[in-house]
Amino acid sequence: MDLIGIASGKVLSSFSVFLFLTVLLLAVARRISTSILLFSLQSAVITAEVLATAFQEKLPEAYIVGALVLVIKVILIPRAFFSLTKRLRTVRDVKASTTPAQSVFAVAAIIYLSYAAVHSYGQAVHVPDDALAAAVSLILTGAFLMLSRKKALMQMLGLLVLENGIFLAALITTFGMPLVIEIGIFFDILIGLLLMGIFTFRINDTFEHLDVSKLRRLRG
Amino acid sequence: MLLLLPLAIPFLGAGLLLTFGNPLRATRAALFLGVLEIASVAAVIWQVHEHGELREGPYLRVDGLSSFFLLVIAFISGLVLVYASGYLRHMGEGRFSSPRWFYALVFLFLFTMVSVCLAANLGFLWIMMEATTLASALLVGFYNTEGAVEAGWKYLIVCTVGIAFALFGTIVLYLAAVKAGMSPNDALDWASLMNVASRAGFDPHLLKLAFVFVLVGYGTKIGFVPMHSWLPDAHAEAPTPISALLSAVLLNCAMYALMRYDAIVSRSAGPAFSHSLLLTFGALSMAVAGLLILVQRNLKRLMAYSSIEHMGMIAIGLGLGGPLGVLGALLHTFNHSVAKSLLFFGAGNVRQNAGTLRMEAIRGISRTMPQTSAALILGGLAIVGLPPFGLFVSEFAILSAAFTQARYFVAIVFLIVLSVVFGGFAYHLSHMLTGEPSPGHEHSTLIPSEWLAMGLAALCSLLFGVRIPHLFDVVLREAMRVLR
Amino acid sequence: MSIVIDVLQAAMLILGAPLVRGIIARLKAHLQRRRGASIWRPYVELFKLLRKEDLVPPTSSAVFRLAPLALFAATICMSAFVPVVHASALLGSRGDFFLLVYLLALGRFFLSLGALDGGSAFGGMGASREALVSSLAEAPLLLGLVALAILASRTDISGIVTWTLAQNIFNISAVHILAFASLAMVTLAETGRMPVDNPTTHLELTMIHEGMVLEYSGPSLGLIEWASAIKLQAMLALLVSLFAPWGMASNSTLGALVLALLFYCVKLGVLLVLLSVIESAVAKLRMYLVPDYLGVASAVSALAVIFTTLVKR
Repeated sequence: MDLIGIASGKVLSSFSVFLFLTVLLLAVARRISTSILLFSLQSAVITAEVLATAFQEKLPEAYIVGALVLVIKVILIPRAFFSLTKRLRTVRDVKASTTPAQSVFAVAAIIYLSYAAVHSYGQAVHVPDDALAAAVSLILTGAFLMLSRKKALMQMLGLLVLENGIFLAALITTFGMPLVIEIGIFFDILIGLLLMGIFTFRINDTFEHLDVSKLRRLRG
Repeated sequence: MLLLLPLAIPFLGAGLLLTFGNPLRATRAALFLGVLEIASVAAVIWQVHEHGELREGPYLRVDGLSSFFLLVIAFISGLVLVYASGYLRHMGEGRFSSPRWFYALVFLFLFTMVSVCLAANLGFLWIMMEATTLASALLVGFYNTEGAVEAGWKYLIVCTVGIAFALFGTIVLYLAAVKAGMSPNDALDWASLMNVASRAGFDPHLLKLAFVFVLVGYGTKIGFVPMHSWLPDAHAEAPTPISALLSAVLLNCAMYALMRYDAIVSRSAGPAFSHSLLLTFGALSMAVAGLLILVQRNLKRLMAYSSIEHMGMIAIGLGLGGPLGVLGALLHTFNHSVAKSLLFFGAGNVRQNAGTLRMEAIRGISRTMPQTSAALILGGLAIVGLPPFGLFVSEFAILSAAFTQARYFVAIVFLIVLSVVFGGFAYHLSHMLTGEPSPGHEHSTLIPSEWLAMGLAALCSLLFGVRIPHLFDVVLREAMRVLR
Repeated sequence: MSIVIDVLQAAMLILGAPLVRGIIARLKAHLQRRRGASIWRPYVELFKLLRKEDLVPPTSSAVFRLAPLALFAATICMSAFVPVVHASALLGSRGDFFLLVYLLALGRFFLSLGALDGGSAFGGMGASREALVSSLAEAPLLLGLVALAILASRTDISGIVTWTLAQNIFNISAVHILAFASLAMVTLAETGRMPVDNPTTHLELTMIHEGMVLEYSGPSLGLIEWASAIKLQAMLALLVSLFAPWGMASNSTLGALVLALLFYCVKLGVLLVLLSVIESAVAKLRMYLVPDYLGVASAVSALAVIFTTLVKR
């Protein structure tokens, strides 16, 4: 049992490193399938974090939330994305508007900005800087992915990374919100993804491509 | 028990409507359900007036403010349902674009918006706000044309991102409440938060951070500049009844959520921060929307930018505070909804008759569509804030509040934008009304559902400019009391 | 005693280098479902070349003949910096990592000069490409090493290795992960491996390193090939000792040294397997994408340096 205690302690103190790695790798990923796998890995790290927090803080509700994250974000959503990519028969390229080097520089700047931003709040809330900076950088990277990737599927993925960051911020600062609210949030995300999936099919049908940068008919 | 009725009727009704194959029967069922829903909302409002506030479990609660917004929702939805019953004759029969899907989605949308107003718990409020985006996305993209799909996608993405930021703000508020010693279940309950707001030691930094994120998040749904990019597209490409619902009801719901947060933050961290932010966003929205109105070429986009402008006005009223400011803001939500519905209904008729929404191609409608152009003239006069329409009263209240508080800059921006918008509307409307109608535009009159809806809206607008009915006044004052 | 071990370390790096090349070639062959040549083949090649005669283009000058010698000398000096079995090396404490990086640069410089002096078109092309790659690779190499030096508060390689040995292996350090990533990418670029340069290509238009040595023959070519093998093993050994030095001998007993040697072989083996897999799986980058690849390495190493400020706080 003590081994689990040590392991959870280690997870809590070092998980932010792995999240930064996934964020950097997402910046350089060139294929949609790679990005989906990275999102799955990221969610797995977050699941470990939830379970470690549940063990350390003795919160039984958090185990349920951890199981939800595992089932929904690590398994279900990536599988849905993969089947969506197959059915849409799109080109596998991520179609970034920035080169990988520029993306990595942007993400490096984002990580630095996150640390600068949480520095003043970290003391107020008594949480380690690393974890909160990881959450903020997930949020900012999600926004960056949505802005710089021109494929509709990548915009959905950026949104999911953003939600991951917000969920992590909630987890770190408040050890999770009441269970019913968390379940409601998950439900919302699932329905939202379902609708976005429906819309990507419609975009593909009407426009014959999935490049959202070409959706510029409505302007002004 | 009573509180569950306004929720159960649209939710179950939506499912029920999907089983109706015949469009005529579906329309009749929808109208019947609409009457039921309005009756149940009226019953709730009456109960609140008698007993103060109603509670149902930890998540549902109605007080004066909620009942005011419920009144607005009920009235406008009634108008929209009446108009839609006739408008659907223009709609084709696709696999997912049949009338029964339309009505089912409309009632689902209504369900989510009513839930927003009935929410006692801020987390539940968030969940239902996100649900409004999801419920209306398919309605925005209903026509499945290129423009509709693009508008629907943009709407879904931008609003979901915005609402995600609002979630972050909610979490920070929850954190501040938990840190100040509230129990986790109470920390998101609005009434408990209001109770302890002035006493408990909420960390002001955290509260300000929470408000900024909530303002940006829910402000995206309201349509504040610079988060407004989805609004003109969505309101222009959606079917006309949906545009009216979006402009007149959804924006108000989002403003309602913002009002709840503003009440908490201004009570515990002082009103200066939140109100100055509201004034900034309000003035910015008014100015940008007012200028963009001048260069619009699509009729419904013109209306959408006007909605942004009026939401800016409401934000300014809220940011000014005080009895005059709050009265002006609340009254303006209703007046704007009525006038905007009238305008959208008229625009829908123009679209169906002229076949286009490009204003330069529409000419001489005063001859081909005399009743619709009368409606458009009335609506246009109302929306730019001329007396004797209701908007004049609410705008006057907000302006008086500005002058009373010696906020001259805000008042000057307000007046300049009003003049600019007046000029813009006058130009666009006169261009459409005069001139030779293009060959192929036949004369058309309104069918009963259309003149009923538009007539009611016009009457209401005129009535509220002269004198506010007593019942409405009672509900309004109770709402103001909640915010004090 | 320590000096003897250091000399033996350097000798092992120098003499064992062709073996490393042979092992990589054999592993790649297995991955490609061939049997491949024997792992001792590079030695046979080396002896063959050393016995042959040097042929020199008539238009070349003394630079052409001196360049391989200068390259070999610089590479041998560089290999004297790298600790293998214990945390010090022949030159380990006398020069810092800047000297290491610039010894590499010196060797490359002379090779490029020799290639230009050879007078062939492909030599010039290879030299200009090499100049581009190496100038871009210098920044991440230096920054990655700087990040490690900041953490260890030492600039000499053996000092850094000693500091790393004292750390707990289970404390995951973001700085080390980022620095390893960027140094690994730079190693691939510096030693002319995929995806930057294909060492087995025979198409002159895709050559970078091979293009520069097209004009060389006999002992000069042997020295150049040997120097490039030494550079490969030295950089891999540097990666091993900077990032995973645990297992190095702390005293000079024979048992500890043998154990340390064994550990080194295992770690090097892991790196060699990784290298073979990467070389077989990845396609060579087109030339205009190589600056991008090195840009990613630079950003990652810059991030590593930024992270050191967060750790030190």
